[in-house]
Amino acid sequence: MSTEVTKVGIIACSGEAIPEGTISRLATLRVLALLRPNNTVTLCLPLFLAGNEAERKFAKTHPTITVDGCDKQCAKWGTEEHSGPVSSALVVTGILGTKAAGCHRSSRDASQPDKESVWAVAERIAAEVDTVLLETGPRDDVATESSGAQCSCSSPAPGGKLTIQGETVSIPGLALIFEQCTERNIPAEASGSAALLDAVKIYHRVLPEEEAGYRSALLAAYQTFRSGSRPTK
Amino acid sequence: MGNEPIENAVLVIPCSGIGKVHGLMSREATYLVTDELAPGQTDTLCLALLVKGDSEAVATVRSHACITIDGCAKACAEKNVAMAGGRVSKAVQVAEAFKNHRGAKPGNATALTDDGWIITREIADSVAHEAFRLRNCEEVAR
Repeated sequence: MSTEVTKVGIIACSGEAIPEGTISRLATLRVLALLRPNNTVTLCLPLFLAGNEAERKFAKTHPTITVDGCDKQCAKWGTEEHSGPVSSALVVTGILGTKAAGCHRSSRDASQPDKESVWAVAERIAAEVDTVLLETGPRDDVATESSGAQCSCSSPAPGGKLTIQGETVSIPGLALIFEQCTERNIPAEASGSAALLDAVKIYHRVLPEEEAGYRSALLAAYQTFRSGSRPTK
Repeated sequence: MGNEPIENAVLVIPCSGIGKVHGLMSREATYLVTDELAPGQTDTLCLALLVKGDSEAVATVRSHACITIDGCAKACAEKNVAMAGGRVSKAVQVAEAFKNHRGAKPGNATALTDDGWIITREIADSVAHEAFRLRNCEEVAR
């Protein structure tokens, strides 16, 4: 028996004129590829005007979260005007406050504050996805095809495999999580295991009774990663 | 730079393509033009503002020559500028630039490879050249 999984639509403004637009776009992609790959889809905002009927019905067929760069909230307005009411509306400047001031539009200029801004906004979007899913139905980690429009190329990041107490589990984007931990200077030793677990718990559900097993498996995999190898795919 | 365009600038407007590398290339080509190749002579604005029907954005595309850069054949940038009553002086499609780079691996929706930057810079050079031509040969702002 297959379980129909609710897919939450995320519409970023992608505002090309401002750094916050780039953050909205990259944070949305991070949620789609890494944080909530099985529960989210997206669509280019201007397709509501330039696209076909299926694309215009996007917000009618998915609970939708809009992610706007500024308080003009073009994504929220455009989605509601052309597609349907949104479940939640986020604004990058509201999430980051003044932290977005030092960010850039182009990836050529991107620096650590740009990355951290994207991470922060992505984590906020993921939390909002969880809230919407709780309100609309059960969350399920098994993806099924959904009808309606979505970007065909927004596929999840490959998972990394860990053996936890004799059982193999797959964690979406484990290598990317480890890259982020490396950039955050989390040490590949016992003192870093709690931070590693916290990072993974953002992306992957870990029950309290499983935490000890995850901590030691993650630390071993992270040490392997830092030594130059990659998690098992 | 925000959404108040430079006077008499040629507007370079990329699509908001989010899922494919082509959308990223359209944005990065735009920034190469506005920030490096033709600063002060070109500018950009948020396509989403046109989708919203923002009166200032609509007035801006109606009063400036526009070059659109679209990632895919759905041509959202070109269509939305035209629907807003803007004058699309040149419509560029990123996919066209790949004809001379068969087998190139440009990257993904979040980052460009060296191949991707080479193609993106070619697009930007072409757009900057067209922007100079527009400024020299005709009235850009109406």
